[in-house]
Parts: sequence; structure tokens; C-alpha cells
Amino acid sequence: MRVLMVCSGGMSSAIVVKALKQEAEKQGLEMEIKAVGTSEFSEEVGRDYNYALVAPQVKHRYNEYKKAADQANVPCEMIPPRGYTPIGAPSLIKQIKEGAK
Amino acid sequence: MMEKFLQWLEEKFMPPMARLAEQRHLRAVRDGVISTLPLIIIGSFFIIIAQPPIPFLAELVAPYVGDIMIPYRLTVGLMSVYAAYGMGYSLAKSYSLDGVSGGVLSLATFLMMNIPLNVDGIMEEAAGAGIEGAEAMGWVLPMGNLGGAGMFTAILSMVVAVEVLRFMKKKKITLTMPEQVPESVARSFEALFPAGVVIILTWVVRVMLGLDVNAMLMSVFAPLVDLSGNNYFGVMLPVLLITLLWAAGIHGVSVIGSVMRPAWLIMLDANVAAVADGASMSYGDGGVPYIAPEPFYQWLVWVGGSGATLALALLLVVSKSTYLKQVGKFSLVPGIFNINEPMIFGAPIVMNPILGIPFIIAPVVTTTISYFAVQLGIVNGFTVMAPWTLPAPIGAWMATGGSIAAVILVLINIAIALVIYYPFFKVYEKKMIAEEQADTATV
Repeated sequence: MRVLMVCSGGMSSAIVVKALKQEAEKQGLEMEIKAVGTSEFSEEVGRDYNYALVAPQVKHRYNEYKKAADQANVPCEMIPPRGYTPIGAPSLIKQIKEGAK
Repeated sequence: MMEKFLQWLEEKFMPPMARLAEQRHLRAVRDGVISTLPLIIIGSFFIIIAQPPIPFLAELVAPYVGDIMIPYRLTVGLMSVYAAYGMGYSLAKSYSLDGVSGGVLSLATFLMMNIPLNVDGIMEEAAGAGIEGAEAMGWVLPMGNLGGAGMFTAILSMVVAVEVLRFMKKKKITLTMPEQVPESVARSFEALFPAGVVIILTWVVRVMLGLDVNAMLMSVFAPLVDLSGNNYFGVMLPVLLITLLWAAGIHGVSVIGSVMRPAWLIMLDANVAAVADGASMSYGDGGVPYIAPEPFYQWLVWVGGSGATLALALLLVVSKSTYLKQVGKFSLVPGIFNINEPMIFGAPIVMNPILGIPFIIAPVVTTTISYFAVQLGIVNGFTVMAPWTLPAPIGAWMATGGSIAAVILVLINIAIALVIYYPFFKVYEKKMIAEEQADTATV
């Protein structure tokens, strides 16, 4: 499963991605997760992803991301604020499992 | 009351601000300007090499300052050239037009606003008068308006060029190639008529009518740049807007930076240019002209990230609440490198009527202290753009060309933020401990 995460500069999402990878490994899930900044998202989402996640601090850009993701036929959802922390990884994995195509 | 205020922030204040930042042309400015930052970071560093903070080294490199500053001149000194291309590219992309065509057209429009000179006559005279190195050099393009001073012209050029491209494509006023022609070649011909339009237009305006567009734009915008660089309230405004946006949960710097970054870069370029011309590194007459380019906020105010949250991370680490301690543990290291989203959403600070207050007040206080510290020349002005993920004392040291006073000010600002966060942290901690005890009691 391939998951794309977008935040503002791709820095803070890298922290969450690291926690997600650990959690996925713990649960024995095959999961590839990539974090990108705002300007890269629309191109990157076209590269065969199963799911896209939008960090809470860029929620004002959600519609723009959603449009790009829809074009690429990738389900795209917001990360709830509390999920956007290293300890939010288990709930985020659950969200990914339910939302990914 | 704070709850009501946060609700107002989220429902009334944030949406229009976010819409403004998401406006298509501002987005192109943001992405285009961001694409120049690597060059500006590297280019501005040469000022440290040319003016090292150690007197012995400074003497050693003094004869080579001209050569050392060349990378600066061709990066920061040409920032509007790079920005014109990057912004044109981004705007064209946002219209699903060919990005490279948009970038090239925007760049050409921008360059057409400058008039090349031929100084061969003067050079020959100088050579005749025995001045060393004087020789004919053909046409030269003055660089004065290609750096920060040309930023507003670059923005205008980007809008004109790409809008012409878009309009002509929409109205099908383009040269259509037969189908056998490869797509990339066909695309480059699509820009042929728009290129003709923008070049003739700018030629008429700049050369035939002799309108100095850059000077006109600067006369309009320079007062605004001054206001946001050297006026206490002007310097404070972005701090308030950024923390308020974050309190409502969205990336304040990303939103406000879209609008402010061109001005911040103009200030930075002006500061470096002054030092390169022999000014001292402190603010004022005979020194750097601006107090608050972006590094001012980055290193003196946003210690640990927006909201000066390194102080809060330190408090959380020693919290008696299990949850807050856990948040502190995963927030401290990213905080040292100015990444604070895990704490902002974890603690959380977002929409939090208790922690939201110091999140706004602490930066206001540290901005005030920092503003006067730079204005009075106690701390050097900012001449270097250091990467924002450096720990603040190191970043502040580099960005001020090696000012120890700046490092001390960072530490003072952390201490002040600690004092401001502490009572609110205590109230919140008490609430969290009560909740945790209630939880264990029911289990």
C-alpha cells in the first residue's frame, strides 16, 4: 500500500511518517509512506498512491489537494489534529486501513 | 471568553486570511519566491566569509572581498531574475499551461523592464587615463533592479506575461503546429504570439514611452516595506497574524509568508548590499537599513517554532501529567530544530483556551525586546539567511554575521518565554492531571 502525506514544507510530516512506519511494521503491514510539501503534492499524487493524507495545519488548502487527488483517483482525507503526532500513529493507521482503496 | 475568541478566530478570522493566501497569483508568488531560497541561503553566506566575525580572519580576507562577494551578487543580487522565472512557471502551472513557457515569458517581460547600456566610450576614456582593468565590454545590464529592488517588477511581469499567455491560448490566438510535430516543440511555438505581445508591450512602455516601471512600483511599495521592516507596529503585525492563525490551527507562516516574503527578501538584500558596500552590521546610519527581514523573526522570535514554543517543550518534559510529559518527550528534539507541529497538535495548543494565550503573548514580548535590541544596535542586524531548521542560537549567530549578543538575546528570549508560559502551563497541567486521575479512578 502506498500512502502520500502533505504538509506545508514536508518537515513536520516527516516526523509523523516515521512514527507511522514504525507502527505499520509493528502491525505487520506492508506500507510505503511518503511526505511532501505543498508545491509537490499535485504532481506526486499522480504516482500510483492508494491514499492521501492532509496535515491539519494546511486544512485551508484541502480543497486544492482534494481536486488533485480526485484527478488521480486517490482517496484524500484530513488528518485529525490529535492524529498528527507521533503517538497518534495507531489511530492514523486505522484511518489509512479504512480509507485506502 | 477565550473560547469565544478562538471560535471567532476559526470561523471569522481564518477563512478570509486563508483565501487570500490561496489566491492564485499570491500562490505563484509564494512558490516562485520559495524556489529562490536555496540560492539566497547559499549566496548570503558569502557575507560571513567576506566579513568574518574574527578580526584576524577579517584582515586576512580583506583584499579579496570583491571576489568573495561575487557568488552573493549573482544569487541574492539577481533574486528577482530567478523569482520572475519561478513565479511565471508556478502561475502557468496553476492554469495547467506549460510551466517553462510561462517562466520564460515572465523572465523576458521582467528583463525588458531594464535597459542595457553600452559604456565602451567611457571605458576607453578611462583606459586612456591609465585606469587599470578598464576596457570595452560591449553591452551591459545594470544589476541595480535585478535583486530585491526589482521584486515588485518581477511580480507584475509574471502576472502580465502569464495572463497574456492564458488569454491568447483561450482565444486560440496561437500558432498551431501540424500533428506530426512533437508535443514539446509544438508547445514552444504556442508561446510565440504571446511572446510577441509581451515584448512589444514592454518595449513600448519602457523604451518608447520611457516609463520607469520599477521606479514607479518602488515609490508605491517602498513605504510599505519600510513600515514592515522598521516600524514597531509593522514588525509586530505579522507576529500577531501568524500566532492567531496557528491558534486556529493553520500554518501561520505559510499563509502570512505568501504576502510578506517578497518584502522580507527586499530587506535582506538591502542589508547584505549595505554591508558589502562597507556598512557596519548593526542597524542605523552607516549600518544595515532594515531591522526585520525574515531571519529576525526566525531566530529571535520563533525559537522552537511559531509561538516561541521551545520554552513550552522544556516545561512539558518535566510535567507531572503523564500525557503532557509524553508530548514533551516527542516535542523537545523537533523543537530544538524549530519544528513544533507535533506539540501544537499534541498538547494541543490549537483551539486551546489556556495554552493559546501564552502562545500569542510570548512572541509579542520577545518581538518587542528583539526589535529594540536591534534598533539600538545592541544586536547586529540580519544579513544572512540561514536554514530555518538550525537550533536558534546557532542560526542567530550565523544570520547576524557572528553576533554573540544575538546568541545571548536568544537565550534571554527563551527564558522570557519560559516565564510567560509557566503559569498557563501550570493551570493546564492541573487540569490534565485531574482528568488523568478521573480516568484511572473509573478504570
